[in-house]
Amino acid sequence: MLRKLDVFRDLTFKEALEVDELLHERTYEKGEIIFEEGDIGHGIFIVVSGKVTVDPSHEILKEAVLEFGPGEMLGELTLFEEAPRFATVVAAERTVMVGLFRAEFSSLLTRNTKIGVKVLERLSRIMCQRVRRLLLRERHQPSL
Amino acid sequence: MKTFRQPGAVTMFMTVLVTCLVLFLFQRILWLVVPGLLALMIYYCLRPLIDWLVVRGVSHEMAVFGTVGVVLVITVGVVFLSAPQLLSRLPQMQVTVDRYVSGGQTLLRRTVQALEEVAPVLKRASLSRQVDTQIQAFTGQFAERNLGKVTLEFLKWLPSLFLVPYLTYFLLKDATRLKKYLIRSIPNAFFEKSLLLFSRLDESLRSFFQGLLVLTCLDTLCLASGLLILGVSPALLLGLTAAVLSWIPYLGSVIGCIMVVLVAATDFPDHPSIAYTCLVLFLCVRLLDDFVFLPLTIGRKLHIHPLLSVLMFFLGATVAGGTGLVLALPVLGVVSVVGEVVAQVVMDGRLRARYRASRQLLAIGTTSET
Repeated sequence: MLRKLDVFRDLTFKEALEVDELLHERTYEKGEIIFEEGDIGHGIFIVVSGKVTVDPSHEILKEAVLEFGPGEMLGELTLFEEAPRFATVVAAERTVMVGLFRAEFSSLLTRNTKIGVKVLERLSRIMCQRVRRLLLRERHQPSL
Repeated sequence: MKTFRQPGAVTMFMTVLVTCLVLFLFQRILWLVVPGLLALMIYYCLRPLIDWLVVRGVSHEMAVFGTVGVVLVITVGVVFLSAPQLLSRLPQMQVTVDRYVSGGQTLLRRTVQALEEVAPVLKRASLSRQVDTQIQAFTGQFAERNLGKVTLEFLKWLPSLFLVPYLTYFLLKDATRLKKYLIRSIPNAFFEKSLLLFSRLDESLRSFFQGLLVLTCLDTLCLASGLLILGVSPALLLGLTAAVLSWIPYLGSVIGCIMVVLVAATDFPDHPSIAYTCLVLFLCVRLLDDFVFLPLTIGRKLHIHPLLSVLMFFLGATVAGGTGLVLALPVLGVVSVVGEVVAQVVMDGRLRARYRASRQLLAIGTTSET
């Protein structure tokens, strides 16, 4: 199942098992806040099932696609540094997500560079797409 | 590790209070705490090796099983190889201990006599006679009085020590799963904070135990080199024993120092200067420890203010005796991290509000489902 998620698509079965050890599955009820703008973020979330919406308080988010569905990732702006969350994200329906914590991700990168490179490449690709669409003023999912 | 936010006065007070309580409780279940701590120490030492094996394609289970197995076989091998030698020396042990004690006695007597010659006022106060009486009362048949007790105490601890490999194996095998399992039970509102807490706890404990081992190696190296230069043997064994003893703050160093001085005084009865040089060596290593090694290894990583450390040593010793002295710093480190994160949660109104809202949403969800 993990390999169906965009970020982990390139992993082999064995590598996916190793990453799975680090992921934390959470279930959110409809209307429940996943994270709030200004919270100090500590990692990314990936939607497994269900849907989440972004509360666009920043002007730059007004034109963005404010929904994230299965397989999509959010919160990547805090995966590499301790920073405040950029927006509030709420579960639009009963949603299952997996969280990847920064410290655990960092330890994975140093421990298993092979997995690290694959995941980082996927992450970078997603982030590049999002930035490009933002710059071209196309409909995009924002990096949060 | 990132620098942590400085805790407030209330948090610090609560931290000290909880640390004292934990130390008091630990003293009651020492039979479990000691193997637990030893297992944690071995866990943090072996974990890099397990990770290295996993990266090289060995499955996690196999890496843990193999590593713990090899360590266990080596330990059992060393015990079995050294046991006959140790047992054969057991009858002479009492004589050996008494010989070293009497060597120390002679050194002390000579020192006092030398002092009396330098300061006649001491002679008039019959210092020599008083010290002699005191020493006689303390060391009279020292081995006969204490060796049996020490052996019994060791035998009492033996079953408890058998827990160490068992605990280490399961820590290495299931620590990640256990952490995931614990985090699963934490409400969504506090999820990220709990991840942060576990990460910091892991980092604090790792820093402490790895730091302690590095410190022990440095101490052993310094003491053994010094003793080797002075010609006191077995230098490495004495250095290692003294370094391990210094895990007990203050008291351990004193015991280690006395032990080495006794050996030097007995092996070189006509050269008291060697025993005095051993004393100076110990003082130098102690200073190096306090001002260079300790801040570089444990102190810096645990982020504990030196004044608080010293205060905690005394409080720990008062609350839980020797146990408190040994465990004060690691327990304070862990409680500080927990206290800091709990304080962040308690003081964050948004998090608490989010938790209340989540509970309501969950209740609504459950009602509509039924």
